[in-house]
Amino acid sequence: MLFDRAFTISSVLLAATAFSGLVLVQSVPLWLAFPTVIILIISLLRAEGKGIIRRAMARVTVSATLWNVLLICAFLILLIDLTLVSQDLLPAGIHFLVVLLDIKLLTLQQRHDYRHLYAISLMAILASAALTTDAWFIPIFLLYLLAAVWTLLLYHLTHETNDISPGVTPSSTAAGHAAFPSGITHRFFWWTNGTALMTIALTLTIFFLIPRIGAGMFQKTSGETLRTTGFSDRVDLGTIGSVKQDPQIVMRVELPDQPAVEKDRLYLRGLAYDQYNGRSWNHSETRRRSLNSVDEGRVFLVRPTDLPPGSRSIPIRQDILLEPLDTAVLFAAPFAERVSGEFLTVLTDTIGGLYLSSPPSSRIRYSVTSHVTRLAQDERTASTLVYPDFIRSHYLQVPEESQLVADLAHRVTQEATTPFGRVLAVHQHLLGNYRYSLEGDTATLSHPLEEFLFTRKTGYCEHYATAMVVMLRTIGIPARLVTGFLATEWNEYGGYFTVRQRDAHAWVEVYFPSSGWIIMDPTPTTDTLVATNRWESVRHLGESFRLQWDRLFVRYSANDQLAVVHGVRESSGALREQASHWGSLISAPIEKGFSGLVHVAHTFRPGTLELITGVVVVGLALLLLILRDRIGLWATTHLPTSHPQLAIAHLYTHMVRTVEKHGVHKSPSATANEFASLVEREWKAASPMVADVIALYHQGRYSRTPLTASELSRAAEQVGRLQSLPHTPR
Amino acid sequence: MNSSHSIRSIQDNIALVIKGKTHVIEMAVVCLLARGHLLLEDVPGVGKTTLAHSLARSLSCSFKRIQFTSDLLPSDIVGVSMFNRQKQGFEFIPGAIFANVVLADEINRTTPKTQSSLLEAMGEAQISVDNQTHPLEQPFMVIATQNPAEYHGTFPLPESQLDRFLMRLCIGYPTLKEERKVLSRAYSLHPAEMLGPVLSAQEVLALQARVDQVHMEESLTDYLLAIVQATRQSELLSLGVSTRGALGLSKAAKALAVVRGRDYCLPDDIKELAPIVLSHRVMLNRTHGMRTQSFEQAERMVIDIVETVPVPV
Repeated sequence: MLFDRAFTISSVLLAATAFSGLVLVQSVPLWLAFPTVIILIISLLRAEGKGIIRRAMARVTVSATLWNVLLICAFLILLIDLTLVSQDLLPAGIHFLVVLLDIKLLTLQQRHDYRHLYAISLMAILASAALTTDAWFIPIFLLYLLAAVWTLLLYHLTHETNDISPGVTPSSTAAGHAAFPSGITHRFFWWTNGTALMTIALTLTIFFLIPRIGAGMFQKTSGETLRTTGFSDRVDLGTIGSVKQDPQIVMRVELPDQPAVEKDRLYLRGLAYDQYNGRSWNHSETRRRSLNSVDEGRVFLVRPTDLPPGSRSIPIRQDILLEPLDTAVLFAAPFAERVSGEFLTVLTDTIGGLYLSSPPSSRIRYSVTSHVTRLAQDERTASTLVYPDFIRSHYLQVPEESQLVADLAHRVTQEATTPFGRVLAVHQHLLGNYRYSLEGDTATLSHPLEEFLFTRKTGYCEHYATAMVVMLRTIGIPARLVTGFLATEWNEYGGYFTVRQRDAHAWVEVYFPSSGWIIMDPTPTTDTLVATNRWESVRHLGESFRLQWDRLFVRYSANDQLAVVHGVRESSGALREQASHWGSLISAPIEKGFSGLVHVAHTFRPGTLELITGVVVVGLALLLLILRDRIGLWATTHLPTSHPQLAIAHLYTHMVRTVEKHGVHKSPSATANEFASLVEREWKAASPMVADVIALYHQGRYSRTPLTASELSRAAEQVGRLQSLPHTPR
Repeated sequence: MNSSHSIRSIQDNIALVIKGKTHVIEMAVVCLLARGHLLLEDVPGVGKTTLAHSLARSLSCSFKRIQFTSDLLPSDIVGVSMFNRQKQGFEFIPGAIFANVVLADEINRTTPKTQSSLLEAMGEAQISVDNQTHPLEQPFMVIATQNPAEYHGTFPLPESQLDRFLMRLCIGYPTLKEERKVLSRAYSLHPAEMLGPVLSAQEVLALQARVDQVHMEESLTDYLLAIVQATRQSELLSLGVSTRGALGLSKAAKALAVVRGRDYCLPDDIKELAPIVLSHRVMLNRTHGMRTQSFEQAERMVIDIVETVPVPV
């Protein structure tokens, strides 16, 4: 088989596989699928070289302009489809794609037509790949791959053979290239397609054997979890101190679209504790319940049991990338309301901790929306506060033998008149009279709190926080201890907080009946570690780059793709809505007319009269289309004209256009006589007519005496005769 | 005798001598009818002088031949005032220029001073000597020849002089067949000497008057000017065509129409004549051509430029 023919056939087959992919996902309606199948068959027959079809197709010549008009029509129909019928981008786009495919199949002539066909079929196969989960897609896709490889190969081969011997058909290659095969042998066919199949098989093997990048095979640290302290059911006083020097990164917290949030510190709440036994903190209630999930199980709503309404303030959204830790706790800024992520369940306890069902084994990403609570104005000045029973029973517990602490608390707060004033007094006392130090292990002591308050007077966050909670409780103010992280390291390049092990922190939440839990931090701030030198910013830059890499490449998944598609769809929907809103004034009458038309179409039962009228109208339109050249010709010669000079010029251009349709082109700088001799060389049959018209043209256009009516009509006659010549230049 | 017949007859007459060069002969006749002067430029021995000679012989007009050499003086061409003892006054003795057809053979062999003595004659068809103006007899045509291959002892014609020639023609070698015909000719005499006149001076003047009557449609004038404009704007040329050149092209196109038996011009007339009429009036840009431009180079440039100008419909 010759290259050219094989090339055309494989191109059509390529389009056919892409089309069948679309049919498989049932996105092509019957009225579109049926003509496409017919067009595919016709193109195949034409490529196969069946004489009748080829001759019939040769007779039907449609100008490029008409195709362009059709294309514009198809695009307009796409717009209508998009706004009124399908109202969705995907089906409307697929309809348009199929129409494009049809048009291209009918106009396959130049090489760029083939290239367009490939682009369209690629889009078709991609669209069907995106829409289907059907196993039947696999054979279609394999066929597509094979056809694509084979077609592109032939595309290149035909191109090269044309280059080697321009104008010479492959069967009669020049002597110098006699070794080049002129057609496709069986050996050639099986070798090339076999190679393609082998390549696909090899690719599949690699696909299944080589580990995913996302699994982080090349990341040394992930896979083993970081050991943390302070986030279990029981926390011994003095254990956090051991991690306060550890610079390992625990998580990164982004604050998207919130420029107003302070970037210097962010409390990330882990767990809260209500019971203190003198040496360690724990929970009085270990019961946990699952959070309610919405939106296909990806968003979890927190309904805090002890958070009164009305105390909410600005929401903070955080996107958190958490390294694998040995705890199942989810960290978030207080107080979380919505948690979204790829989790099956999220658990919570009665004091606002969030947990996964098990510690994550790899990095996880989740988003949290939190509301910071603020103290209501009336509670600042209220002299007495009434606490609910639940709060009183849980958050006023103090260890026995804490008389010393209670005395201190009373002494410190004796001048304050309001509960808030007492809280501030305790806070001030701890801030002012104790020194921050990581030295001194108190974990082994029997009374670490008393040791801190009265003997050593140095300690760190746990000591400060425990002291404040116990002191407040001894004077009847409910409070609890919270552990978590205090993020202070803002990365200005990536726009996120880097949180390290050493940022582990403990602080206090104090209860006010109508405001809820208010954060108090009695630990003095220590800015010893943050050194803003040059290397710091370079380190931040690299750190930020690593995060982006992780986000955009390592962790880029089908979900992210879907998110993009969702975004596009949503925005296109919004756009459509807006357009329809703006255009409603104009479109209302049109829509009315359209709906009327739809109504008519639905209720229409064709009677004989309507049928005949329809056929006649369509027939007339076709006739006009076919005869439009003749009509134009007739009009120039028969309608009265005051400028016979212009009339003959018009006839001349008409003639030139007619000849050009048959492939003989006139350059703008060629004179009429030069054109005549070109026609004589290229298209002998047309030569007498052309010469006659040109002679008349010269006489009528350039001499002083205008042409007579009979001469004009003779010219028109010759042009008409030219138009009816069979299509055989050369 | 009707005009087309007389034109036919003069071409046929010349063709008896110059074999196989119908186009060159036609152009020479066009030049005559357009009241232009002709510059023949080719290697020696291809029939330059013979062409000029035959053209002159075909007309029943006076013909003079001037062989240009380096010691030729202007007075040899235009004439001189001499003191006549008998009449006791100065008498003007006309030079060789006083004839209907003047053959200036090897024009580039003489000094610029002598060359420029032709200027007035060619431009205004008159001669001024000693404050006296002597009109030249009509029709008046200068046919100059020059040899491009030889540079020793030559003075290339200045631009102003070149501009006064309507056309520059190159004859070229004949084909093998035609050359055989030339060789097999049995006459011992110079072939041009055998020709008899077929056209009188009066008839030539009548034909020249007909050329003025030829109709050139407005769009054709625009086409012509567009070509001239294109030569002025072309980057390949450092000097474009002058207004005299445009005028010459217009005249030549009209004359060609008459020669082809029409009383109106066609775009083909202009397009065909443009290289012949314009190529000796342009200067190639130094970066694109050699310092001394060759005939073929300039002609090809002009053809290329004409091909960029669209023909009006």
